Amino acid sequence: MLKDSELLGGTTPVVAIALVLLPVVLPSAALATEILIFALAALACNLLLGYGGLLSFGQGIFFGAGAYLASLAMIHAGAGFLTALATAALSGTLIAAVVGALAIRRTGIYFVMMTLAFNQTAYFIAYTLDEWTGGENGLLDVPRPPLALFGATLADLGSPMSYYVFVAVVFLLIFVATKRVIASPFGSTLIAIRDNEARADAVGYNTKHFKIVAFAVSGAITALAGALYAMLLNFAPLENIQMSENIVILTVIGGTGSLLGSLLGAGSWVIISDMFAEVWPRWLIVMGGALILVVLFLRGGIWGGIESLAERISSKKGKPG
Amino acid sequence: MSAFILKVEKLCLSYSGFMAVDNVTFQVARNTIHSIIGPNGAGKTSLFHCLTGARRPTSGYVEFDGREITREPTHKRVSAGMARSFQITSLFQNLTVRENLRLASQGRDGDGALTFWRSAFARREHIEVADAVMERLGLTKRADAAAGGLPHGQQRILELGMALCGRPRLLLLDEPTAGMGVEDIPLMTRLIAELGKEYSVMLIEHNMGIVMSISDVITVMSQGGILVEGKPEVIRADARVREAYLGDAA
Amino acid sequence: MLYAFQVLNGLGLGMIYFLISVGLTIIFGLLNFVNFAHGAFFMIGGYLCYSLVGWTGSFWLSLLFGPLFVAFAAWLAEKILFHRIYHLPHTFHILVTVGIALILQETTIMIWGPVGKNISVPEGLQGVVTLWAFAYPVYRLFLISFTIIIALALWYLLERTRFGALVRAGSESAEMISLLGTNIHRLFAATFALGVGLAGLAGTLSAPVRGVNPFMGVEVLGIAFVVVVIGGMGSFTGALLGGLLVGLVQSLMSTIWPEGASLMIYGAMAAVILLRPYGLFGRA
Repeated sequence: MLKDSELLGGTTPVVAIALVLLPVVLPSAALATEILIFALAALACNLLLGYGGLLSFGQGIFFGAGAYLASLAMIHAGAGFLTALATAALSGTLIAAVVGALAIRRTGIYFVMMTLAFNQTAYFIAYTLDEWTGGENGLLDVPRPPLALFGATLADLGSPMSYYVFVAVVFLLIFVATKRVIASPFGSTLIAIRDNEARADAVGYNTKHFKIVAFAVSGAITALAGALYAMLLNFAPLENIQMSENIVILTVIGGTGSLLGSLLGAGSWVIISDMFAEVWPRWLIVMGGALILVVLFLRGGIWGGIESLAERISSKKGKPG
Repeated sequence: MSAFILKVEKLCLSYSGFMAVDNVTFQVARNTIHSIIGPNGAGKTSLFHCLTGARRPTSGYVEFDGREITREPTHKRVSAGMARSFQITSLFQNLTVRENLRLASQGRDGDGALTFWRSAFARREHIEVADAVMERLGLTKRADAAAGGLPHGQQRILELGMALCGRPRLLLLDEPTAGMGVEDIPLMTRLIAELGKEYSVMLIEHNMGIVMSISDVITVMSQGGILVEGKPEVIRADARVREAYLGDAA
Repeated sequence: MLYAFQVLNGLGLGMIYFLISVGLTIIFGLLNFVNFAHGAFFMIGGYLCYSLVGWTGSFWLSLLFGPLFVAFAAWLAEKILFHRIYHLPHTFHILVTVGIALILQETTIMIWGPVGKNISVPEGLQGVVTLWAFAYPVYRLFLISFTIIIALALWYLLERTRFGALVRAGSESAEMISLLGTNIHRLFAATFALGVGLAGLAGTLSAPVRGVNPFMGVEVLGIAFVVVVIGGMGSFTGALLGGLLVGLVQSLMSTIWPEGASLMIYGAMAAVILLRPYGLFGRA
């Protein structure tokens, strides 16, 4: 925890370098953008699961809501790029606070079951409101307006590369901000609640408030990711809401309790899906298997694996003589 | 200001008909050590649960520092100046000793700790409290060790330190020596005696040596109710207590 | 009359939900294990019905062998994988079974394709009967009667047999289980197979009514969770009453507001959570 408090040190330069390399190494900037969007969603899921110990199968609600509401703001209210993103983040905050407040009325498995049930609720709401969401067909023709501030156009985001640069900047900002959240009084208390909720209660914290704020922050980031996704695809599918399970899986595979792990998880997920999409559309089987293997043998996920490998190497080098 | 930090009147707690706490009335004077003793199942821990807010009493009245708190949740009692230690050690096992104590100190902020845009270390006072408590308890050398990795005796002392970090006016200590080795007990006894001078302390304890040597007042509980209350020498001499409790213990 | 019709439908639906949830709940009660693959096993039960009817031409054979196969698969999974993770926290149970559910779902798509299938109502149970003043499908009537028989048999098994006594004793206290000695692994595996087999049975029975598709597992899992949140985990009565309640709400709402019928059951759950956080029949 102390390590992460160095906002611009530690893992931040690693992420910055990765952001520069991604579009160079990958076949397309759009693919790189997709990785960052899912990494944002994973980051938000990780805040809940890795730091707060809250396993939420409701992240798709916030992802879907962000996609729909940003799109609707642009289509029906003529909102600009930043306004649409702000709409998504704000509504994500509110929806997540409400869902979180309801779900944490129960703890343990009941809590997890309720997040899944609320996810189904959101799915049926979106399905029922088809005049707004397009129902099963999804919301079509989502625009990607230029980046403008107070009427002055700053950048046209039409090309995949320019959009990637914008998303990369957003990702870096949120990555650093999340580090700050984790090392804040709030974040340190969240970790304490995960460790021992009864004690956290006894030393004076209203643990419910902390969990609700964790949901709100997580919901804001996830909804932002959903909005960016809709603008990437120019489309907001109903399946966004069913993304919860995938978000949890890629977060766990990447490594819970490490923000860099979220980027690794999203990266491997998107790259594998891209590689297999044409050849073997049932590649999700591999992800199901990977999830089981990670839980059984590699608790820290990919990042945990890298860390323990690095430790082993450095301890060998560090031995005198 | 009343001479009493805590007033309890006609307090009852029943679990589906069973009276765990039965019509209990007593008062705790400021800056004294008030011990609760009694055989197992006498209702001592249930009484503590009602005082700390872990259980809601069935009926009765609790006043802390001139304010009614009968139905207030735990976290409000903490910010009002009440702190507890647990009979079964309850620490943030995976966090360091210093972080355990810093979090306990930060707990006084209550919802103020929801601040997520500042560094936790910007609030120096919590680190200072943690460091001071560590120094006092002789844990400074173990500051960066995980709490779960400490030997049992030190965990018990840290457990007490967690309560101290709340800068309380009333300390509720539930069997602080439970499971401690004989060699660690004198240290703990001295610590509690010292604390009794600065704070008001309510103590549940089985070790009669400790109770008789440091208590100002002793309340003896039996079957949920109060059997007798008085100074150690009065309790020692009471025939009913000998019969109900000391008799078994000896 | 329309309402009587919907009440019967709701009864059938509710009994299906009961079969699914009671399986989930006895596994949780005895093994303290959270099975997020429960819905996927329900789906497999449905698909087996489809294929077995295709091969053998007999619904009755599929009704026998479908659930048995599902139970056997669950027994195997318990022997190979699940018994290794009982001691881990619930989060790990959830993640591992989510992985299993994903594998089952994708395998189903590989075998049967991504598009749903319809299963015709078995011969002899086609057509309608006239009850009072309305016509009611024979198969649905059979479904209601058959599930009631299963529920009674299950009740007998849990309340009146040695197996049931062991399951109940184990659910009450963990120490009790350790006193049972060597039979414990067999008991766990058998209970797991029974619980999951009930989900498979529910899948087979409901296939002729609702058809099958590869994504029904998640939907059914969500509903089972609603039942369990309302009725409480680990209780036969809770699963029965919760299941019937959810089935009836869904069925009656489908006449009033067809699009919102599925929504309503989740609304009912939210209401229960707000008013009675520990469920209608739950203990703290």
